[in-house]
Amino acid sequence: MTEFPDTPFGPVSGEDMATWCDLLSDDNQIHLSRAAAEAAGFGPNRVNPGPANLAFLLSAAMAADPEAGVTRIDARFEGNVVEGDHVIARNEGKALALYRDGDDRPVVTASIQFGAIE
Amino acid sequence: MTQEGKQMGHESLPLGRFDLTPERDDLVRRMSGAPVRLDMRAHPIFAFVGALGGLPLPIKDLSEGLGLAFDKGPVLAGCRIDITRPLEVARSYAVAARVEGIERKPSRRFGWADHLHLAIALSDSAPFTDIRLHIIFPATEAP
Repeated sequence: MTEFPDTPFGPVSGEDMATWCDLLSDDNQIHLSRAAAEAAGFGPNRVNPGPANLAFLLSAAMAADPEAGVTRIDARFEGNVVEGDHVIARNEGKALALYRDGDDRPVVTASIQFGAIE
Repeated sequence: MTQEGKQMGHESLPLGRFDLTPERDDLVRRMSGAPVRLDMRAHPIFAFVGALGGLPLPIKDLSEGLGLAFDKGPVLAGCRIDITRPLEVARSYAVAARVEGIERKPSRRFGWADHLHLAIALSDSAPFTDIRLHIIFPATEAP
């Protein structure tokens, strides 16, 4: 696993969430509407799409070793990041984990394999 | 809907397509705080972005066509991505998707939930990436 220091990102913006949704062709309103997020029980702020959270972890690893090739990603989405959040990507040895700043439970954990690919 | 513990058969979707432009890669790198692109290789999250974004229909329409409650706020549970070759910018990829299964299970959060498993591969003349997605949809009743 690529070594890297705790890497902060954020604040996560609602505008970026809409861009992610456009790229993903994802109309899930919890990412686009505060009212929809609240109605679905996520609280008063829009919810960052899961792939956007995973991208933070990958970006932290890429910054540490831009030449590294990723061959496998195994990710679990265990919590949510909402607009305004600051997050921290952390290398925990066997896995990478993304935390909301100040929380002790990860929102995403990912085992990432690096190696030579074509 | 299927019975608890019993999965639907595998159903393939019509082929889709995803254009991985340099502008899209630049956008994703900016939003995710990634380093600038050094060569033609795109950010690896495009194995996910291209898979969903290149489906022949939006995930909302696919889900509702399968009888799943997209408007109730589905959540992403997990994914496994295998990368045979790195995706590159300025290329267009064929997107082959199939429904691997739908299963209704008890849920602490929702009471009941439908678990959708999708497999989506991106290829050119050769395979590039393969992703297996697990998405959970709230359900209102037992099977």
